[in-house]
Amino acid sequence: MTNERQTLTLPVGPLHVALEEPVYYKARIEGERVRSLSLVMGYVHRGMEALAGKRNLFQNVVLTERVCSLCSNSHPLAYCTAVENLADIAVPPRAQYLRCLAEEVKRIASHLFNVGIMAHVIGYKSLFMHVMQVRETMQDIKETVYGNRMDVAANCIGGVKCDLDGELATFIRAGLDKLKKELDEIIRIYRHDKMIRGRTVGVGQISPLDVVRLGLVGPVARGSGLPVDVRRDSPYAAYPELDFPVITEDGCDVHARAMVRLREARESIAMVERILDKLPAGATTAPLPPIPAGEAVARIEAPRGELFYYLRTDESDKPLRLKWRVPSYMNWEALPVMMKDCAVADISLIVNSIDPCVSCTER
Amino acid sequence: MLGIFKILLRNLRQGPATHPFPFAEAHTPPRFRGRVTMLPEKCVGCGVCAHVCPGEAIRLQPSLDNTGYSFSIWHNSCALCGSCRHFCPTGAISLTNDWHLSHRQSEKYTTAEHHLVPYLRCAGCGEPIRMLPPELAARIYAHKPPGVENLGELMKLCPACRRLEILKREAIAAANA
Repeated sequence: MTNERQTLTLPVGPLHVALEEPVYYKARIEGERVRSLSLVMGYVHRGMEALAGKRNLFQNVVLTERVCSLCSNSHPLAYCTAVENLADIAVPPRAQYLRCLAEEVKRIASHLFNVGIMAHVIGYKSLFMHVMQVRETMQDIKETVYGNRMDVAANCIGGVKCDLDGELATFIRAGLDKLKKELDEIIRIYRHDKMIRGRTVGVGQISPLDVVRLGLVGPVARGSGLPVDVRRDSPYAAYPELDFPVITEDGCDVHARAMVRLREARESIAMVERILDKLPAGATTAPLPPIPAGEAVARIEAPRGELFYYLRTDESDKPLRLKWRVPSYMNWEALPVMMKDCAVADISLIVNSIDPCVSCTER
Repeated sequence: MLGIFKILLRNLRQGPATHPFPFAEAHTPPRFRGRVTMLPEKCVGCGVCAHVCPGEAIRLQPSLDNTGYSFSIWHNSCALCGSCRHFCPTGAISLTNDWHLSHRQSEKYTTAEHHLVPYLRCAGCGEPIRMLPPELAARIYAHKPPGVENLGELMKLCPACRRLEILKREAIAAANA
């Protein structure tokens, strides 16, 4: 027997780490502790950026919507914004508000899904089931207003495809009133429950310095106290007119990130109500001019953080290049830092805390 | 801890939250984006639906005997995005809320909707022309060309004969004035 501790490589994944998405982690472990981590990715690369160059600008709205189901409104919104920036299209105010509405509805559903999965990873199945059932309110709203539970197909170049009438607005309000009470209950449980706190407080720490160094975005950055939010930092659509706070937590751990998501979902409910109050009348689409040759970018705050689109066109109706950088791309880099010296049992919990989106990152 | 037990007890009292599908009908909202359908009497054959369709599920093709054009919607290629409905200038395409699209492998090539939209014959030269519905004609000729009382008459002509006819009537109207 020597005093030297044995290290070995533990393969985690590529399937069923936290979400049912494939990433292969190679964890160097020493006893129960993870000493270092490397990732192997690329299992769900579908060549979507190349595919975008083969389709015309209209078809790409739907293609980008299929990149990922949880941010399936943010992708087409960012893409449409890039086209509008390029061709100087002024989106009518009503369409701007309706875009924010779809974004916030999707954000609530996405955040609730993530915190629900967190309970599932901990093994708190009853809470997981309850959160998913509460989330059904949002799914019903999406299905009733937009016609699908995940792909809302709200955006088109120059505006929105889906308008809202008084009856649907009442339906949304009734759903949100119900959701508000249930969400407040859930927030209390996540904040105070002993089991949740025992598994998540102090786990997966990342300092604000590391957040800046790695360029992390979204709830991961905000969970470490950095108020980074594209909706505030570089406003788009109707966000400048919607008064909202950027929610941060100082815990820097898995628990703080979950609390940021829950509180943001609560804030998004208030924002949806504000949108319904202020919704201006008027057209929902702008007339389409010819799309000139050139390049443009757009930035959107997706549920996971900053989503960035780059578009280059010639005068044809097919883009020469469409490139997107998704929030999970930066947030993956946080995992080796967060998992330094964590317990093997916490790997999936920490992976889930960055709300990874493999299908977005690998497209 | 007490909080979650209170919730669980309440959920237990409320009973199942799921629908007993397929033993009972599942609730489907009227706006649900389901199977795409098309009204041939409203179609002008502009093909914008086929242009915007991301899955190339819509196909327009002149028929072999040149009496009309066929219009097909392949439900298996359809992404149910609703772009065709959004861009259709006459409202000919719509999405039903029927989501029962699963079928046997043997029905793979019949899970489609086919229409033959017939051409009209130009009253002037006899050329085959595509029908222009009155609402769309009223939008195109909103400025009311002088000397034209009845747009319906004009719509029976092919575009070339129509231009000639309008010019003729404009000249007569100008001479009369």
